[in-house]
Amino acid sequence: MADETKLASGDSVCLPNGLVSHGDSRTRRVYETARSLHSGAVKDLLSLGVCERCIFRLIPVEAFDSDVSSVSTSTLRSWLESRDDETGSLESSCSRICIVCLGILQFVFSDAKQKLVKTDTSSDYAARITELVKQDRREFDSFGLEVSVPSIIIENERAVLSYLKGKYSNESWLQIKKISVKDALKVLVLDPLRASLGAKSDSSTFHIRLTYSRASDGAQGASEKTHESKRRKTDAENGSNCISENSFEKVYEPCLLSVHCNKMPIFFSGRYFKYSRNVSQSRWIIDDERMGEASVEEILGGNILPACLGDSYKFHAAGREDIDVRMLGSGRPFLIEIQNSRQCPSEQSLKEVEEKINNSEKKLVGVKDLRCVGSQCWAMMREGEAEKQKQYAALVWISRPLEDKDLNSISSLIELKILQKTPVRVLHRRSPLDREKIIHWMKVEKIKGNSHYFLLHLCTQAGTYIKEFVHGDLGRTTPSMGSILGCRAEIIQLDVTDVKMGDS
Amino acid sequence: MEIQKIEVAKNPEIEDAIELPKKGSHDEVEDCEEQQQQQEAQEDEKNRVEEEDELRNLLLSDIGGLPISPPSATQVNFVTYFITDFTKSGHDQYIYRHANGLCVIGLAPTHIAFKDEGGITNIDFNVGKSDRSVLKVSGKRKKNALRSESNTALCKVSTAKDTYIVRCCVKGSLLEVNDRLIKQPQLLNASADREGYIAIIMPRPTDWTKNKESLITLEEYKEKKELSL
Repeated sequence: MADETKLASGDSVCLPNGLVSHGDSRTRRVYETARSLHSGAVKDLLSLGVCERCIFRLIPVEAFDSDVSSVSTSTLRSWLESRDDETGSLESSCSRICIVCLGILQFVFSDAKQKLVKTDTSSDYAARITELVKQDRREFDSFGLEVSVPSIIIENERAVLSYLKGKYSNESWLQIKKISVKDALKVLVLDPLRASLGAKSDSSTFHIRLTYSRASDGAQGASEKTHESKRRKTDAENGSNCISENSFEKVYEPCLLSVHCNKMPIFFSGRYFKYSRNVSQSRWIIDDERMGEASVEEILGGNILPACLGDSYKFHAAGREDIDVRMLGSGRPFLIEIQNSRQCPSEQSLKEVEEKINNSEKKLVGVKDLRCVGSQCWAMMREGEAEKQKQYAALVWISRPLEDKDLNSISSLIELKILQKTPVRVLHRRSPLDREKIIHWMKVEKIKGNSHYFLLHLCTQAGTYIKEFVHGDLGRTTPSMGSILGCRAEIIQLDVTDVKMGDS
Repeated sequence: MEIQKIEVAKNPEIEDAIELPKKGSHDEVEDCEEQQQQQEAQEDEKNRVEEEDELRNLLLSDIGGLPISPPSATQVNFVTYFITDFTKSGHDQYIYRHANGLCVIGLAPTHIAFKDEGGITNIDFNVGKSDRSVLKVSGKRKKNALRSESNTALCKVSTAKDTYIVRCCVKGSLLEVNDRLIKQPQLLNASADREGYIAIIMPRPTDWTKNKESLITLEEYKEKKELSL
């Protein structure tokens, strides 16, 4: 145990077990740590079948950190074993899967094709992971690493720790908190992955997730395991060390590793115009039949998605309008959310998307101010929703000729309060409520040569049903255009002329 | 940026001018900033007027030939059905069915109540087991709605001469009754087909299909009533 070989601070050093290692300070530190571990405990754990890095974790003399990753599995093993005089049974135990981490910290796993992959060093492991990541054709400057491991590992660890506690109850290293398998793996592979992928690591939008799951054993094996784990649990509670070494005899299978890359969604904002009275805002399909000839959602999303090489899109708008209502004036703010984008489109390509939509043959939809935005976009959307005012132009017909005094009586109504019962046309899917709304102002524009029709400009509170305000909805909206003018009124067509956002 | 702030404090009258160019903002800070901002404001005004003209053209371009009397909202959004002599002779009612399945029920113009001198003077929703005008239907699922059969009584209308019972004619959930009629029964005389509607019922699709068979269309109704007049 006190076999301290002085390492010269040279380039390479010959160690007593014949292995040559580069004498840089990191490796030396790990070597010295290996030597300083409680040899009895190390021997026990080795014979139980605990892997080298787990031993470093569970007998924490020094903090488990990335220095350990610079040493290969086999070198670690030799340093841990070399204190014993027993040289036998080295080979057989080398190939055993660790009973605690199930091979994870040994960099052993089976891949998607059920093939066993064994890598000795963390850089080899990182190279394998990089291969899998590159298959996805992603572009990224930085990534965040996520690891998920099977829950049985916690139980395995608890069992081993309670065994150690029972046997070495006085040792100081028992009290120190152990780093988990998940965190240990991250510590070991983060730097090599950074080098191998050529990217920084941070909490970016691009996540690489390593998911380890247990290879399924079949019904019998599973029940065996649960039985065992139950037994281990009670033993752990009793704190006894009656876990026989036999219960760890069984051979464990390596875990299945799957690598997933996930990009957090990216957002684009802008304002859209709807020039057609036969285009719905979002995709509208009833009984396999599309309502209207197109939708704003599909025109915008369908053009932005290919520029991002994304998987799918979601459309969010600050309010909505009916299919037969045009959206003119300043346009309505919207957000397009792209899932799993593989490239961020340049300003130039965004301009091209805008032009493509605006110069299309049918001119159904227009767009402006298209740009990529960060997560603050939601605050922007909230602004446009409930509190803001909307402006409309409605073509109204009345049953009697329009008189000059009507123009005054209408424009004199400022901040008019109206009460709207839920319109019949939406009553099937909305709560029956009385909603009080405000008409901020109104202005009548006469139409040349026609005294029964006029253009009504009005500015209302968000959420006001304009059509119902004009025709009265069987008297369920009061006052209405008809009741104000004392005659029948009908709305022929409606356009949205302004959606006010912020202070504009 | 600091210099800009001081400018604002010194010249409050150009505050408006500064706020306007928020959309197309520029970051240079110069001495003749005030003059520049006023020019910008004028340009913005010009743009705004141009945009408004464009908008007006768009608004008016869509107005094609305007019919003298366009169809009403009811005619456009609902399909009109009638039921005649329902449970009793002369009890004619209309059913407007919306595309979303809801049915608006009311008195047809040939209802016997209108024949009485003075028309309808009173309406009472307290019939059957409960007062229909106090039911409170809430939520999207329309909780607490009265489940009615087609012959469930909706209300009683009274004239100087007699009282008549009005029934649902449609099996479904009673969503709403027109309680304005309580205070203004004359709505029934003046516009029974609009503001004088009686109730709104939501039938289940299967119930409606069965119900529909006992209803007649507007054309059939006109024919029928022409003969009897």
